[in-house]
Amino acid sequence: MIAVEHLSKTYGSYQALNDVSFVCRPGTVTGFLGPNGAGKSTAMRIMTGLTPASSGVATIGGVAYRDIPNPSSQVGVLLDASAQHGGRTGREVLTIAAKTMGLPKSRVDEMLALVGLTPSEAKRRVRNYSLGMRQRLGLAQTLLGDPSVLILDEPANGLDPAGIHWMRSLLRSFAEKGGTVLLSSHLLHEIEVIADEIIVIGHGRIVAQGTKDELLKGSGTFVRALDPSALVNALVSAGIESHVSGAGLATDATAEQVGRAAAAAGVVLLELRAAESANLEEMFLQLTSDTQRDALATEGARA
Amino acid sequence: MSAPAVDLNRPSIPLGRLVAVEARKVFDTRASRWFSLSILGLVLLVMVLQAFVFVDGLQDLDMFLAFSGNILGYFLPIVLIMLVTSEWGQRTALVTFTLEPRRGRVVAAKLIAGLLLSFAAFALAFLISLLGTFLASSVRGLDVSWSLEGDVIRNFLISNTIAVLVGFALAMLLGNTAAAIVGYFVYTFIVPIVINLLGSFVDWFGDIVPWIEFSSAQTPLVTGDGSLSGEEWAHLATSGTIWLVIPLVVGILRLLRREVK
Repeated sequence: MIAVEHLSKTYGSYQALNDVSFVCRPGTVTGFLGPNGAGKSTAMRIMTGLTPASSGVATIGGVAYRDIPNPSSQVGVLLDASAQHGGRTGREVLTIAAKTMGLPKSRVDEMLALVGLTPSEAKRRVRNYSLGMRQRLGLAQTLLGDPSVLILDEPANGLDPAGIHWMRSLLRSFAEKGGTVLLSSHLLHEIEVIADEIIVIGHGRIVAQGTKDELLKGSGTFVRALDPSALVNALVSAGIESHVSGAGLATDATAEQVGRAAAAAGVVLLELRAAESANLEEMFLQLTSDTQRDALATEGARA
Repeated sequence: MSAPAVDLNRPSIPLGRLVAVEARKVFDTRASRWFSLSILGLVLLVMVLQAFVFVDGLQDLDMFLAFSGNILGYFLPIVLIMLVTSEWGQRTALVTFTLEPRRGRVVAAKLIAGLLLSFAAFALAFLISLLGTFLASSVRGLDVSWSLEGDVIRNFLISNTIAVLVGFALAMLLGNTAAAIVGYFVYTFIVPIVINLLGSFVDWFGDIVPWIEFSSAQTPLVTGDGSLSGEEWAHLATSGTIWLVIPLVVGILRLLRREVK
């Protein structure tokens, strides 16, 4: 179990993490979702003792990472698959980790086979690896010591669709055997397909957390009309608040309320249904556009 | 796996295992392997030149030891520098300090591994010196001296150990391969010149130069009969504190606190 309590981190006047708390339970995959620069990596580095927290604590199984004896044999950590010596072969990278942990050499071969790196690929130098191969190598390293907890920063980066599918089943079976998994991503879809629990972070704060079902269920209604402005007027006069969502409008009102308002104003509806994952997706898009440069481009397109 | 997530009763990683891993890192890339072998090759090459080409009179055993010690003094520190700085340059520190988060133990392991490898290199240099002396006397037919004062061996070990420690300290302090290597040569060549120059113009400063200039303080180790007076030992101790102990301590403290990215 991973427990993060009131974690804050400031760099000068910049607040990278602001009172972040969450828990990852055994048997579940927790997705840590947020745009680039939201504080995911900082939080993960604090959990593994690489970065000191300004305040708050992060524990794994009740203790700080640095107090776990031979920690990598119990907690598999992959923070950056590219942080490997380019001159070492893939096999050498794993051998160093295995020797440090005190594992037999055979374990290296087992892990290479598990992540699908062939013997000839394992002999190549890491500098010649694609990002996807580095991710596989990094996953092999985290799994070497047969850990019960995994902390993975953007592990799906660079994996092809088959690789992502493979990783999903790997993490799923890891969690089913009682393992705890925390993985981060800046892509909603990746988290949606892998995680049971989702934590959404933006600007160093947690903006939403819960089970995937809770967060994706969404609430309210999605409606699309032939004449959007007529629909907006109809909703306003019925006292229903709404906002633009894709090609239509999202509202907190029920489908019946929206339908009645539209019928009263004689607006032709093309779609009227319960909102899907709109909640999470929109929150995420909003977070992303706040921090990213395409905010201007998006607004330009709307105008 | 349904047991508690972490087992606090597992044995932690023994220091010996960390030392073995760090020693392995010196040889596990093509570049590092070739660099280490090249140093040995250079010592061999100079030995052959010294035995067969250098003017007569430079072929005593202690002269061979002095020449090979010189070469090691230039290049062995770079091996230790790279053992430290490649962790930052290649960003493997992220993995190294996740495998063993108690950073002090990693630093100790690197230092011990570096010193053990240096001692192995000293032993090889000694064997090569013996071979050189043998070749000069048997093949070239020179009249050579095989005598070796205890002081000479001691001084060889002290000055070369100081050299690798300075390399290690600068690497810890600067954290960057190029900066540490340049720093090492600035340290050994330029700093002494500047200090001595300053000392020759400023009277009061000239008086304290022997106490603060590390390079001059080491000169008695490699010249004369190799014996040092009490004052010379004191010079070595004070200048060594300034130029070796303080940077090493600051470098270690910095590494223990710095953020690993």
